[in-house]
Amino acid sequence: MTALLEIRDLHASVGDKPILKGINLTINAGEVHAIMGPNGSGKSTMSYVLAGRDGYEVTGGDILMNGESMLEMEPDERARAGMFLAFQYPVELPGVGGMSFLRAAVNARRVEAGEEEIDQLGFVKIVREKAKLLGISDDMLKRAVNVGFSGGEKKRYEILQMALLEPTMAVLDETDSGLDVDALRIVSEGVNVLRDPARAMLVITHYQRLLDHIIPDYVHILAGGKIRKSGGKELALEVEESGYAGIDDAA
Amino acid sequence: MPGSMMQPDLSGVTATGGTRAAALARWQDNGWPGPRVEAWRYTSLAKLSDLEIAPVASLAGSASGPGMAAATGIAAHVIRFENGVVDPAGLTGLPGGVTIGDLGSDEAATARLAELAPKGHPVSDLSLAVMNGGLVIDVEGTVETPLMLLFEGDDRAASAHPAILVRLAAGAKLQLAEWHQSSVGLSAPLIGHDIGAGARLEQVKVQAEGAETTHLAATGVALAAGASIHGFSLSTGGSLARLETHVTMQGEEADCQLSAIYMGRGSQHQDITTFMDHAVANCTSNQIIRGVLDDTARGVYQGKVHVAPDAQKTDGQQMSRALLLSRKAEADAKPELEIYADDVICAHGATVGELDATQLFYLTSRGIPYEIARSMLIEAFLIDTIETIENETLAGLLRPVAEAWLAGGEAS
Repeated sequence: MTALLEIRDLHASVGDKPILKGINLTINAGEVHAIMGPNGSGKSTMSYVLAGRDGYEVTGGDILMNGESMLEMEPDERARAGMFLAFQYPVELPGVGGMSFLRAAVNARRVEAGEEEIDQLGFVKIVREKAKLLGISDDMLKRAVNVGFSGGEKKRYEILQMALLEPTMAVLDETDSGLDVDALRIVSEGVNVLRDPARAMLVITHYQRLLDHIIPDYVHILAGGKIRKSGGKELALEVEESGYAGIDDAA
Repeated sequence: MPGSMMQPDLSGVTATGGTRAAALARWQDNGWPGPRVEAWRYTSLAKLSDLEIAPVASLAGSASGPGMAAATGIAAHVIRFENGVVDPAGLTGLPGGVTIGDLGSDEAATARLAELAPKGHPVSDLSLAVMNGGLVIDVEGTVETPLMLLFEGDDRAASAHPAILVRLAAGAKLQLAEWHQSSVGLSAPLIGHDIGAGARLEQVKVQAEGAETTHLAATGVALAAGASIHGFSLSTGGSLARLETHVTMQGEEADCQLSAIYMGRGSQHQDITTFMDHAVANCTSNQIIRGVLDDTARGVYQGKVHVAPDAQKTDGQQMSRALLLSRKAEADAKPELEIYADDVICAHGATVGELDATQLFYLTSRGIPYEIARSMLIEAFLIDTIETIENETLAGLLRPVAEAWLAGGEAS
């Protein structure tokens, strides 16, 4: 079986600085993987490299989605191929209406799949349904993208986009940062609803607490640009108790 | 010797004496301003020195362009000019409250237009002198039907010199659209808005001239006590366009909202120049300017706010932002405050920037193709400016023109 996502000996630099130094990771459909690591370990770089952000240069190795290399693909092509990144810091877009943004994204996906563009009315209905589950108000939907949203609202809005775009490979970058306990629960439930045999998730986090809510099948510890240790969900608890120090030393 | 280029027989103008003869004399003395004239430092009229001033004498065709369709869309009464010549069809069946007279034969109105016209602007003199379409539009009461001044014409050898004085009587209210979509060599409209006490003018202008046309507009506004003008210009056309507006607050409690968007690509030159004269106390003015420039296009915003010594409690604001879509595009901004009163609130600001790479990444990471993401961000940059237009009917004229530009085509 071809893996949904296969990262092979991935090296990447930001500017001239090497950040990722040989990542190997295979993710199959239906699996939830967590990547944990201390600050500066390369977690966010990895999420941006997967999404194809400018300035994050792959200097070696490969990223395959369904067996095809993504390295030559632009961010929008990757997204339409099923990649989704929930941003650690969702970007404010003053003047860009939320609904037209969501519709443009969904329609880009549909056009790629050879489907008809969704009409305004039908779309509003779908968005409202999914928004309700995430506690997103109509007022928030009407506003410009992420403008005037609280930290928790921004994260919920990311999950709403994920729910609408139905990606096959979702990367969640520090989705727990800036969330209080209640918001964390809402966001986690929103993510758990999207767990699906055809979909994989890569949850990137500094702290174990998110993984109490989104229970991963596999946990990997990233430090110094390499995966130092892999294991089951119990590995997250180990980190919680003894911190990252031991792992850094082991490297 | 600019006078030697005069094609039409202007002996008639000279013979009448008065305002037009004086304007002609000034034009013949001064001609086109050169690069050393401060007000024209950023905008060179060098290419006009070879242009023949050639007003057309008579009407040739009938309305055709999208301006007419736009007018129909808002059920406006259209007064059409072709190559600068007024089409008499528009002078009948006027909405209630509107009367129209001939400007050229009305010395008092001509003198008033000369008073309002931007001082030192070549078109203020030239178009007044050689006007081939001169109208006085008088407005009383609230006019429900919008008026549209539609400027068409495809005579590339022609220069168009419409001269129009719009007079709003005390308490009058008018919605006015100006739509410029010609392919004449030089389009040089001279327009005066004389707004009486408590009267209100809601105005939009679309400048979507042909690619070879030079558009040089001189507009003068006078506001009596409690009068207001809410004006908005969208300038996308022409090879070189300068929209210059001078406003004088002549009575207290006057309010002037004057915003503009310019959009340029290729080697277009777009210039928005304003002079806001707070001559008396307790008036407000606000200007929001947005520019979008691609390729090697150049944009200029010059805005001067003058506050006279007695003009206390003046509130004068101006903010210009330009967005450069190409490394070779250029934007110049010269905001100026000249304040002689001590109890005022005045602010100005100017920024020039590029599209935000992080915003573009966010949009494309959602699968939105780059070109669409870019258009969404440009539209977002412009939208809050268009949203300042309170009159929805008039605002509706602008969106299709801006969208057509964003879609990459000509506005035609």
